[in-house]
Amino acid sequence: MKIICQIGVVFAVCWVSQLIEAALPFPFPASVIGMILLLLLLASGLLRVEHIQEKADFLLANMAFFFLPAGVSIMNYFDLLRSSAVALVVICLVTTVVTFAATAWSIRLTLRLLERRKNRV
Amino acid sequence: MSELFYSPFFGVALSIFTFWVGVRIQKKTGLVVCNPLLIGVVLTIGVLLLFRIPYEAYDQGAEFISLFLSPATACLAVAIYGKLPLLRRNWLPILVGCTVGSVVSMGSVLLLCRLFGLDEAMTASLLPKSVTTPIAISVSEAHGGIGSITVVAVVLTGIFGSITAPLLIRLFRVREPLAAGLAIGACSHAVGTSRALELGETEGAMSGLAIGVCGIVTVLLSLLLM
Repeated sequence: MKIICQIGVVFAVCWVSQLIEAALPFPFPASVIGMILLLLLLASGLLRVEHIQEKADFLLANMAFFFLPAGVSIMNYFDLLRSSAVALVVICLVTTVVTFAATAWSIRLTLRLLERRKNRV
Repeated sequence: MSELFYSPFFGVALSIFTFWVGVRIQKKTGLVVCNPLLIGVVLTIGVLLLFRIPYEAYDQGAEFISLFLSPATACLAVAIYGKLPLLRRNWLPILVGCTVGSVVSMGSVLLLCRLFGLDEAMTASLLPKSVTTPIAISVSEAHGGIGSITVVAVVLTGIFGSITAPLLIRLFRVREPLAAGLAIGACSHAVGTSRALELGETEGAMSGLAIGVCGIVTVLLSLLLM
């Protein structure tokens, strides 16, 4: 019964997020609204982690599995892929390196500025 | 003959079986390239093509699995909640790093897509590819992208980032564990995080935190961009 209640809580949050998504004038994914909503519920203490722990652990541990069907549906787009497979791979590789460097350097800069300010005070 | 496959049980069972094979292969080989999701997708498509089973038959079961996507994304909140104290202590570098990372990721994707002359649907599918799959797929589909292409791009990016992470750390001379962890999380989400955990506790925690923060930043950015 415990697990069923937890599923109920999480599904209810997801349903409310869908209502919010429908009400918003711009495209904001319901699943992300659900994530923010759940975080607010946890942070405000209205919901305790114990209330959804097992369900969350189950979903998080098996996260990748739930995307399998989404990945399989790529077989409907083989034609599209054939023409842009090279571009797709190149884009994935190049942007990963660029993103890594930009993130690491911006953090290093921030840390140094914080350090300098601390030393001055 | 093919009517036999039009049962939700078939699609669910096939998915679970192929994913299980993927998990086993990764455990045995210990290779990042042997990503269970990637192996599961390839095997499932292989079975469908081999036995000439129409995608629509498989989709009967696939619907039930996809139902859990939204709840799984929402539960990322539990993971972020566990790291809130860490976020509070280092909020400025985390916020700066994840914002810069997300902007550069989406900017460089946009630029390269234009360069390669890809159409709008393809561009929308690739834009959010550096964040975790559930968020990437929602952002992609909300802006006219193709979810399955996003999944493939996200997994590819994750595997590539995870393999090259130690090399990139040396190449760009990243000495701070905080910067290394966030950078790994910002460019290769959960797949990279498992690698970051091997590098150290701070790296792992920061990488995990970057998944959530970059996810939210990317959603907000996508509103401005499209």
